[in-house]
Amino acid sequence: MRISDVSRLAWGQIKRRKVVTGLCMLGISIGCAAIVVALSLGDSAQSYANNEVNAQFKMDEITVTPNEGVSQGGGEGATKTGANSNVGKLTDQKLDIIKNFKHVIAAAPFQDMGYVQMETVDNKVGDLNIIATDLSLLTKYDFSFQQGAPSEQAGSVVLNYGATIGLLDTATRDGLIEKLTADPYNAEVSQQYQELTSLPSEMYQQRVQFRYVNYDPSSSKNSYLSSPLQVAGVLKVMKGVDPQMAMYDKKAYISRETFAKLSEEFNLNKNSSETVTYNSAIIKVDKQENLLQIEALIKKLTLNTSTNLYQLESLNSTFAMIKRVALGVGVFILIIASISIIVAMTMSTHQRRRQIGIMKVLGANMSQIRIMFIMESALLGLLGGMLGIGFSYLIVTGINKLVGSAAGGGMGTGQSLVISIPLSTIPVGIIFAIMTGVISGIYPAISASRTNALTAIRRD
Amino acid sequence: MLRVENISHTFKSGGEMTPVLHNINFEVQQGEMVALLGSSGSGKSTMLNLMAGLMKPTEGHIFIADQDIVKMGENKLAEFRRKNIGFIFQAYELISSLTVRENVELPLVFQSVSPSVRKQKSLALLEGVGILDKAELFPSQLSGGQQQRVSIARSLITEPSVIFADEPTGNLDTKTEEEIINILLNLNKKMKTTFIVVTHELEVAEQMQRIFTLRDGFMITEKHGVAEVGPEEGGQQ
Repeated sequence: MRISDVSRLAWGQIKRRKVVTGLCMLGISIGCAAIVVALSLGDSAQSYANNEVNAQFKMDEITVTPNEGVSQGGGEGATKTGANSNVGKLTDQKLDIIKNFKHVIAAAPFQDMGYVQMETVDNKVGDLNIIATDLSLLTKYDFSFQQGAPSEQAGSVVLNYGATIGLLDTATRDGLIEKLTADPYNAEVSQQYQELTSLPSEMYQQRVQFRYVNYDPSSSKNSYLSSPLQVAGVLKVMKGVDPQMAMYDKKAYISRETFAKLSEEFNLNKNSSETVTYNSAIIKVDKQENLLQIEALIKKLTLNTSTNLYQLESLNSTFAMIKRVALGVGVFILIIASISIIVAMTMSTHQRRRQIGIMKVLGANMSQIRIMFIMESALLGLLGGMLGIGFSYLIVTGINKLVGSAAGGGMGTGQSLVISIPLSTIPVGIIFAIMTGVISGIYPAISASRTNALTAIRRD
Repeated sequence: MLRVENISHTFKSGGEMTPVLHNINFEVQQGEMVALLGSSGSGKSTMLNLMAGLMKPTEGHIFIADQDIVKMGENKLAEFRRKNIGFIFQAYELISSLTVRENVELPLVFQSVSPSVRKQKSLALLEGVGILDKAELFPSQLSGGQQQRVSIARSLITEPSVIFADEPTGNLDTKTEEEIINILLNLNKKMKTTFIVVTHELEVAEQMQRIFTLRDGFMITEKHGVAEVGPEEGGQQ
């Protein structure tokens, strides 16, 4: 029997029995819509969370630190500069090796010099973290300049957005802190402090000095003021980062030469060695997929690494679970829907016993009768699936409107969760619906094929 | 062409055995048109069902085209019926969701014959029975006589060796009855198809070449009807 003939006969029956067809389609469509919405919700939520994670945590960077657990070579030469003493240290030589790895875009030290106080020529002050790096590579790490450009000139400094916010003159700052200490619940003072610490200052091409305070009691001098430095650039707020959050991240980037000069001025070079070592470096990789591979190679250089992948993994496992639960709900609804098909098709078998009998008398064998019934239920599944896809679009539109009006905006990226139905979900929903139809049609089909032709055509 | 040998049949009903056919023997030659005449309860319908392979006899054998259909399993029998047997029912038994042409084509659908061949054959047969213009209508749009013509066309589409007609005029008025019988007679003459017509009407039976009369499960007479007699050999009583 040709497929086209089986389909035509099945379609004829479906068209004839509109009420039964409608009820079966409704049952399947609800199950199918549940599955499609569940999968879409899972996918959209996961993609939303991924975007948030990517915005807040860089997923294509590896932070490298020295492997301090490694023996420094042992014996008398342990503190001396030499090949063995560099095992586990983060050196220029190792960074050069890393730079040459395939998929590495940039490998630069991000030497954390600690916190200092920045003082401007108009006596404003602010605390910030000094990072020594290769300033020319800043743009490779997704930084972009609001003003100025990277400059390797000695004495240059690049400030991030946060470092230009909330600079106050010493008297005002000390006065406000004093008032707040005396009366922590004074709303007026608190608001005044909040407003002043949120004010931006024009820092581009300004001259600044850094004050380093050594809290070591054994030190004879505890406050050091650097020679004047020039602000060669101001960075933009990084893409996807909320400016309200960025203002609290205060950093000044300096070149390695400036770092050496400041170290000398702040008397930090007590154990100087021939080889320059760093306490941190950041490796930028072309794609997130290559992160693990590069990380493994870096570890072979006896260095410690860390990435933000764990954030993603933790989110992925959470969403995978949510998706499984939602899918389970959808499948459960489909099972319930399949019962309606079994009932409808079994009823139809009884109603059409005479027709089945005639077909048998005309030469239809058992398998042909079975195929006709299964095709009919598969078509019901297909129609139900298509209706279900339509329903799922309506449901998703409804949810988006609800979420949109309830949330009013997102978290970090400023975008709220928008559920969209991935195209790949549509065939999944349709296949589930057809399979439900086919499986539900098996029993009625067997029952129909066993109809005794003579009993069926006999008239009382 | 068709040979019935020592057929006896008993129905079991509530543990009680009811014999309905007793040692029936007859033979029908290719191209013959015979009537199986009998009143209600005579066993003629049971005999028809046995010959069509729709039930198995308690005893005996039925040969159609030299094959014993009593020994065939259900699927083989379905295949055999598909190729060798045609049916004309008293109540026409057309599928209401299919058009006239699709109804006629249905036995060929089960044989996976191509749509173009099916269409060509069905239209030729519909023309033969005089309702070509009704080909794309549905059975509910036709009169009883027209529906029976569709049923006749359907029985012929597989070019079967034998056609069983169960009270083919039972639901029709006298005028239409005559028309249908004439169609059957003409087809038999033209196509040399064997017809076995089950009827309780003597007037219908008399138009066949031979008449087998059943009463209370026994074959009581075999005689020639008024129709032109075909082969010399008749069946046995």
